[in-house]
Amino acid sequence: MKENMSIMVVDDEMIIRESFSHWFEKSGHKVSTAASGFEALDKLKEYPFDLLFVDIKMPGMDGIEFLEIVKKEYPDTFVVIITAYGSIESSVKAMKLGASDYLLKPFKPEQLNLVLEKVAQQKKLTGEIDYLKGCLDTMTRFDNIIGQSKAMVDIFELIPEVAESEASVLITGETGTGKELIAKAIHAKSKRNAHPFIAINCGAIPDSLLESELFGHQKGAFTGADHARKGFLEVVSGGTLFLDEIGEISTKMQVNLLRVLEEKKITQLGGREPIDVDFRLISATRRNLEQDIKQRNFREDFYYRINVITIEVPPLRKRKPDIPLLVEHFVKKYSRETAKRIDRVTDSAMELLNNFEWPGNIRELENAIERAVVLSKSRTLDRKDFSFIRSAPVEPEKTVSLSEMEKEFIRQALEQNEWNITRTSKVLGLHRVTLQKKVKRLNLRKSG
Amino acid sequence: MATKKFMIGVVPVGDTPVFVAKATAAHISGYLNLPTEILPALDTPSFAYDEKRLQYNAGIIIKTYEALEFGCEKVVALLDIDLFIPLFTHVFGEAKLGGKCALASIFRLKMERDGSCPAPSLVYERAAKVALHELGHLFKLRHCEDNRCLMHFSGDLEQLDRTPIYFCRYCNRFFKDALVDNSDSSFNS
Repeated sequence: MKENMSIMVVDDEMIIRESFSHWFEKSGHKVSTAASGFEALDKLKEYPFDLLFVDIKMPGMDGIEFLEIVKKEYPDTFVVIITAYGSIESSVKAMKLGASDYLLKPFKPEQLNLVLEKVAQQKKLTGEIDYLKGCLDTMTRFDNIIGQSKAMVDIFELIPEVAESEASVLITGETGTGKELIAKAIHAKSKRNAHPFIAINCGAIPDSLLESELFGHQKGAFTGADHARKGFLEVVSGGTLFLDEIGEISTKMQVNLLRVLEEKKITQLGGREPIDVDFRLISATRRNLEQDIKQRNFREDFYYRINVITIEVPPLRKRKPDIPLLVEHFVKKYSRETAKRIDRVTDSAMELLNNFEWPGNIRELENAIERAVVLSKSRTLDRKDFSFIRSAPVEPEKTVSLSEMEKEFIRQALEQNEWNITRTSKVLGLHRVTLQKKVKRLNLRKSG
Repeated sequence: MATKKFMIGVVPVGDTPVFVAKATAAHISGYLNLPTEILPALDTPSFAYDEKRLQYNAGIIIKTYEALEFGCEKVVALLDIDLFIPLFTHVFGEAKLGGKCALASIFRLKMERDGSCPAPSLVYERAAKVALHELGHLFKLRHCEDNRCLMHFSGDLEQLDRTPIYFCRYCNRFFKDALVDNSDSSFNS
């Protein structure tokens, strides 16, 4: 099946451009022309061309110079050099720089067809290689974690070591930092990798349901239990159980899990017989569990049981060197998924992405790239494609005292209510006299 | 001069024998079922002669002929000169998609690669193939991937001889549709 290509002819001679245009139109290809390298580069920014026919001798920027830029900025675009001034040197140089072929004007009509067939074949092969690379990326899960910062390199070195042991792992880090990917990498590198990896977000499941999900139930154990069901602790047998947001589970569930971790046995809801279970636990949290222990929201004995090894995943703002790599990875991923050809991200856009604080971490960055790729009309992502992230920079982390927070909170409430004490006290749920005392004590004064 | 609906004009140019024009017209009538008319011969287009290449520029000839009033919907000019377009060393024929005038030259059709002369009947058949192929372009047909179709591109005589003188069923369909479109626009004009 013939594939129609989008072709641009770059030649300063109008007659040549016209000749090419008419010829390619007759062959069903989409063709555009440019009278100079500069005009062609402008067109390339707007539209992805499959193949360029480029004259070597052009005023301003010659074909070889243009070829160098194209191969650097749009490496997937095929270039065929055409010239009436053919020489061995220029053809060798063009081929070394990545030209797909070289034609001397005038050429036989069938030569042009052969070149088109050759490029179509190369394009098909490139597409197949990209597809297979994508498949390989998905399969090699460990390689899905991207980073070159010291913090991430340390984690990469830690993963194989941790994977070898059977100890429980606690992964800490802000939301969106890729905790589950690290858990998957540990599983993939461990001896348990032939068995299931089951991830459960404890924060998303009510406690009563979580118990039934983890332990399973017998028929009639509770209203709606129409049939017996195995819990994840049993199903995961031999594999790895990943409990995300472990800080969200109740103390009762912590006790239940602690017993399971110690005895390696479970009893289904409504059941009597203990069942042997074999799994490795990896937990993750974005909370400060030590703080929770102090506040008696989290059991200390359970904490030490799940936290034999701790891996702390830094937030994206503390691993800025990883941003360009992540951007490149996500651009490739979404270009492939959306079948849009995005070749690069401009320096200006990369500067914006580097300077942004990314409170939602990698997940937020990934969403931003996906949105930019989907909405972009050119093959280059520029600063304007990320205009939606400009307005939400995050303040640098600053430790404030409780009284400072209270003062700021009351000041904002007063300003919103035009310093009307009665109204503000109602909003804050305080007695007006109490508010008056606080205003005096905190030395709050109406500005201006 | 009033335009004759669907009449295909065949114009011998310069030294082109009239019987080549007659044979081509017969092929057009026979294979495309369209009425044809042999038009008065034109002089050799010396205005299109390129002294550097010692050939005739097909683009210039088409541009000049398209400005002429032949009284036919589409015209095929048959020439006996070596045609070129700036890109290529030579062309057997030339036409623009949807244009009014196509060129077909017998210059390179009447001599084999080894210098021998083919039988006249083969030359007529080759000329008819080139003329019908270019006529297809005038009806907006593009090159076809099927090498058993007249619209398949032929770069040399061997390929041309292997190409049949009829369209594949897809190109035939496109041709008929184009004919209907042309008919509508003719009636509307």
